Amino acid sequence: MKKSVMAAALGVLLAAGAANATGIGAGVYAGYSFPVLQEDAGSGSMYGFRAPISVAPTITIEPFYASSALGDVEEVLGGISYTREGFDQTAYGASLLFGNTSGPGFHVYPFAGIGKYKLERTGTDIDEVGYNFGLGFGFGVAPKISLHVRGEVEMIKIEDSSRKFGNVTGGVSYSFMP
Amino acid sequence: MKTMRIAIPAVILAFAAAGCILVSGQFLLDFSLDDFTTTTETAVTNAEIDLTTESDYQDHKDDLKAIADIAVLGKITNNGSEAVGAEVWIAPNSSTVYTTADDVKAYTTKLWGPFTVQPGAANAVTVDWNKSSTLFSTAGKQMLLDEAKGDGMFTLYAIGDKTTYNITVENGVLAIVLDFAK
Repeated sequence: MKKSVMAAALGVLLAAGAANATGIGAGVYAGYSFPVLQEDAGSGSMYGFRAPISVAPTITIEPFYASSALGDVEEVLGGISYTREGFDQTAYGASLLFGNTSGPGFHVYPFAGIGKYKLERTGTDIDEVGYNFGLGFGFGVAPKISLHVRGEVEMIKIEDSSRKFGNVTGGVSYSFMP
Repeated sequence: MKTMRIAIPAVILAFAAAGCILVSGQFLLDFSLDDFTTTTETAVTNAEIDLTTESDYQDHKDDLKAIADIAVLGKITNNGSEAVGAEVWIAPNSSTVYTTADDVKAYTTKLWGPFTVQPGAANAVTVDWNKSSTLFSTAGKQMLLDEAKGDGMFTLYAIGDKTTYNITVENGVLAIVLDFAK
């Protein structure tokens, strides 16, 4: 039931974007991802792609792809040092951005989204729905080019619990239209 | 804009459907095991684990949801003359203590292994966490989770997968990452 609600939400988001597009762009970003309240996971780098679709002056739908290489965890247990390898994470989904996110000047915009998240390492293979929300800052540096800095929390739902990560990213977006 | 009037509530509904997953965490608990040598000629070695001795477990026991990760660690030496697979079996806390490998296999649940060790001190190996995490049985993990959700006490048995064996385990540790959420 919950998964179908989430899939429907993602579908509605993308359909709404396609039906109402008044502007479309593409962007790349990179940054750092760190686990929240996870003693068996490390921090690491991340990168991804975005395709912002403006559907109203203050609403943007943004399909995304993200990939993270999270770091190993070192623990001394019983007097011996052990290494647990970090997760490799991939995700795709769509976010809803509230506010003017592009054009000249400085912009602040909250956002939230849903997606499909995959966490893999030896002995663990998680493939679940996840959510993200956060705050972005946009800087219009040219008529069609803007820089973006974002902070977000992502939550990957695993049955009745979740794994959470904090992400800080910087990126650049190019607007194809109008 | 009509579709947007659907899209925004759709996102809100999806977040609501997720429940209270914001309040969650994965905590590592580790239990050191006394060094021991187990052979087919002597009584099977066991270790009683009491999760309630860990403050993280006590603080969050009611919110326990799953086992996120698990590993049996330590240095294993095969004192015999042929390769042996080391195994760990699990039983609920009980006054019954099994003393033979046959009883362990008959009345307890296999948790981990086999982890193959070649004979000789020169071939002693320290168990790799990543390798160890792949050696758990589904039934064993479920029993461990059930015990963790219960009284938090259970017994581990170490045996070999051959009819005769002689294994020494040093610096043994059971590492469990428990998944808590409100």
